[in-house]
Amino acid sequence: MRIQDHPILDFSKGRKVRFWFEDRELEGYEGEPIAAALHAAGVRVLSESPVRHRPRGFFCAIGNCSSCLMTVDGRPNVRVCVEALHEGMRVQKQRGGRGDLA
Amino acid sequence: MSGGPKKYDAIVVGAGPAGLSAAAELGRAGARTLVLDRDTRPGGQLVKQTHKFFGSEKQRAGTRGVEIARLLREEVAALPAVEMWLNSTVLGFYSDRVITVERVKDAPGEERREWLEKVTAPVFVLATGAAERFLPFPNNDLPGIYGAGAAQTLMNVHGVRPGRRVVMVGAGNIGLIVSYQLLQAGVEVAAIVEAAPVIGGYLVHAAKVRRAGVPILTSHTVKEAHGREALEGVTVWRLDEKWQPVPGTEKYIAADVLCLATGLSPLAELLFQAGCQMAYVPELGGHVPVHGEDLETSVPGVFVAGDVSGVEEASAAMVEGHLAGLGAAARLGLVRDLAAVAAGWRAELASLRAGPSGEKIRRGLAKLAGQTAGMAASSPAGSPVSPASAPAASAPAAPPPATSAPKPGKPGRTLSPQLTSTGEPAASELESSLPPADRRRQGPYAVIECFQEIPCDPCHKACRTGAIGPFPDINLTPAYEAAHCNGCALCVAQCPGLACFVVDENYSPSEALLKLPYEFLPLPAAGHTVDLLDRTGALVGSGRVVRVVRSRSKLATPVVWVTVPSEKVGTVRNIRVPATKGGAAE
Repeated sequence: MRIQDHPILDFSKGRKVRFWFEDRELEGYEGEPIAAALHAAGVRVLSESPVRHRPRGFFCAIGNCSSCLMTVDGRPNVRVCVEALHEGMRVQKQRGGRGDLA
Repeated sequence: MSGGPKKYDAIVVGAGPAGLSAAAELGRAGARTLVLDRDTRPGGQLVKQTHKFFGSEKQRAGTRGVEIARLLREEVAALPAVEMWLNSTVLGFYSDRVITVERVKDAPGEERREWLEKVTAPVFVLATGAAERFLPFPNNDLPGIYGAGAAQTLMNVHGVRPGRRVVMVGAGNIGLIVSYQLLQAGVEVAAIVEAAPVIGGYLVHAAKVRRAGVPILTSHTVKEAHGREALEGVTVWRLDEKWQPVPGTEKYIAADVLCLATGLSPLAELLFQAGCQMAYVPELGGHVPVHGEDLETSVPGVFVAGDVSGVEEASAAMVEGHLAGLGAAARLGLVRDLAAVAAGWRAELASLRAGPSGEKIRRGLAKLAGQTAGMAASSPAGSPVSPASAPAASAPAAPPPATSAPKPGKPGRTLSPQLTSTGEPAASELESSLPPADRRRQGPYAVIECFQEIPCDPCHKACRTGAIGPFPDINLTPAYEAAHCNGCALCVAQCPGLACFVVDENYSPSEALLKLPYEFLPLPAAGHTVDLLDRTGALVGSGRVVRVVRSRSKLATPVVWVTVPSEKVGTVRNIRVPATKGGAAE
């Protein structure tokens, strides 16, 4: 899903890093949003809705809408569309609502 | 956090086109200015705009949004009075005019840090922008259903394709532009679906996607989305004259992405918190602050600029940023004669809004002006310019002789229903874009397929032979006089709408030469055989590439010279490079 060659743009990327999504080891670029790395790896379902457990992806990609909240390194409610990816991060789908805000 | 707030002369919230323009004015005036943005890079949504901007030179027309973002960033960075905090989200605007900011430091190899700061200033420019709207339909929560701007961020900022096959909802400028950019990123666009009976965005943007083969389904909307874990397809159906769906007209379109370009709503939370008087004006996108021409809200010292003050084009946002910045600086006593300094910017803003495309904004501002009556503001309420008051075009009664100066288009031109509902010009419109038959046989000439009055003038700026005359009003269509044209194609490379072409009917006994703009990969090379496409993207023949004129910068539009069978020169408006030549865009 990565664009290798673009007619107008050149993409400058950080170094390649490895991270974990659930129990899968994936690759992304340091500093890009976690959601971009997941999307590039074909992962579009980021969480599930609290009551009816429907799949959730991102929507706004600018940290506005809260559709992409995930648990990152144990930290819940992380907006992965704007959170930078780092080496070794553990990214998990958030299940069972957002009650752990405290 | 303890202690009092940090004090500045001015605080600008939002580092998009409006905020950066305001910061530039404040910084130049010598105000100690703090700019806050929640993103990690300044520029707002300009950072993903790969298209060339409309408007006039002062709003950097003809320059791509990404480049404008860079220029604005550099302009502000060069001002020592301006300090910028990125990754800094404003959380609240309190009654003592203190704002709280959540700051994050998240550098590789360092421990992540989050902390709160309090800041205050006598004047504020709130330029928080707008957010994309949602649309109700069954299964609209499936992953793969994204804001059009989100898909644009993913592909143009992060270099990741949002999917393989997209259905776009909304044929306003965002829907049309993002569709084109999806094609440039190598993503298929199955259709653009628009509930209104007419295309809302600029018709030159519509023409670009039409000649790439993307259908625009006006009077259509989404019935439902399908998919289990993520989007797999979309059912659309037709709407009647009363905007009611017509059963039996359902069409299923396979797609893994559905983009919503159904409008923007101002991000007005801080304005409510600041106690600004608000008004609900649908034409301006929803809840907007009541403000006058000086962009000051009902709370003295709190100025607004850009989409948060009323959703509009980014060129208008930049001008508003300058005006708000100047107003705020004047409030600090740093600008002496505000009226004189602001006059130029005000005139520009009025001219950007003066044409038919500014009609909705004018209506919204007029409604808002009604609200300012109750405001203690010293300035007169915004008085939008009506198209009738725009400078009149010189309109000689008889058709001018071939050697006369270019004649500007007449204002108030009516467009064919075919053009406004499909993006394809009618035969009469195409005929009007051609020089007289005897001139056509004399040598190369430009064909400017720009029929709609939109605020834009780079074609005139590009033209070195005087064939494209000056715009007495930026909203008029181009004034072209073929007698002065040598077919150089500078307008082809410069037109932000990619609506200029050059035709040489004398190239060979059986072939014409067509010079067209081409912003896709792979670029063909001289000698390649390419498919010739018409204005709907249908294959109509094959041609030979004679030359590709390109600049060293990828930001310039390449111009491809291709041979076309003589009888098809009025039909061909696009090319396709067969997959075997030069490799795919992957």
